[in-house]
Amino acid sequence: MNCPIKSQENTDWLLEYSAGRLDSEHAALMARHLETCPECARIVHAQQRVWNALSQWEPEPVSADFDRRLYRKIDAQPASWIDRLFRPLRPFWRPVVPLAAACLLIVAGVVLHTPRASLNPADSQVRVENTSAEQVERTLDDMQMLRELAVTPAPEESTSKSM
Amino acid sequence: MGASAALDYDAELMLRVKDGDEASFGLLLDKYRASVSHFLYRMVQDQGVSEELAQEVFLRVYKSRETYEPAAKFTTWLFRIATHLALNWLRDEKNERAQERLDQSTEDGPAREVADRAATVEQQMVYEVKVEEVRCAVAALPDKQRAAVLMHKYEEMEYSQIAKVLSCSESAVKSLLFRAYETLRVRLAHMA
Repeated sequence: MNCPIKSQENTDWLLEYSAGRLDSEHAALMARHLETCPECARIVHAQQRVWNALSQWEPEPVSADFDRRLYRKIDAQPASWIDRLFRPLRPFWRPVVPLAAACLLIVAGVVLHTPRASLNPADSQVRVENTSAEQVERTLDDMQMLRELAVTPAPEESTSKSM
Repeated sequence: MGASAALDYDAELMLRVKDGDEASFGLLLDKYRASVSHFLYRMVQDQGVSEELAQEVFLRVYKSRETYEPAAKFTTWLFRIATHLALNWLRDEKNERAQERLDQSTEDGPAREVADRAATVEQQMVYEVKVEEVRCAVAALPDKQRAAVLMHKYEEMEYSQIAKVLSCSESAVKSLLFRAYETLRVRLAHMA
């Protein structure tokens, strides 16, 4: 293998070897290299000292009331009314959602594939056209009638004028 | 194999929390309370602050349950939150109280726990001096190097996972760790 220090490749192998975390195949390669490379051997030796020194650093245990304080903070979090309303139902939602989606798909399929007369756009257009023609004709008749009424004088009016 | 099983189990627990199962949150808390707290303690080196930050980590996990998606390993997500909080705290405190506390605890530190341990006073003092040297050597590392070393040494995280937590490449983590350990090798060279 290439020297990790000289080639600057696989420098992590030195760290992992020192920590005893390198797999057996690579560890055997590294062990053979260390026999002939005093520089890498020196680094591994120093790294093992560092590793052991770090192992001695034990943090203090977590406070006994850690969870109590945490849950108090969680309880103090404002929850929306929707969240509070639906929270008890949440465990049941998950199995129901695929079923509801399947039902929705079936209903949509049935609706889309059912032929309906009222949905034929050509028919409705004809009907609209027919209706509007009749309406125009009737309106014209009405206007003609009104015109005639306006032209012909009322019989009472003509009588009073002659007197 | 084991890592993927752990991924599934932790992510599954978190998904149950998302569904309103409070007991699953308790299981995650039991599993990671100590490792998160200890990581934060070694990062900020203040017991009170580290516990407050650890509480904030779990509070954020709980608050994020609604939007949680198991895109990455649960521990990657968890330690990303923890690292983010620790780095922010260090950044905010670095120029002010952190240095003062560090100096103060350097003077007071060795005598702090002597009475709590059963070993002889002499052994205890040797131990305390050693730990204090380690603590100072780690504290002197740049923040990101410190986080990488702590995750590598104590959490036994893989390079790829540390890279995800620190949002950098795997090769950057390798270089970060090599430089950090190089500094520690010099600083702790006298330790047997």
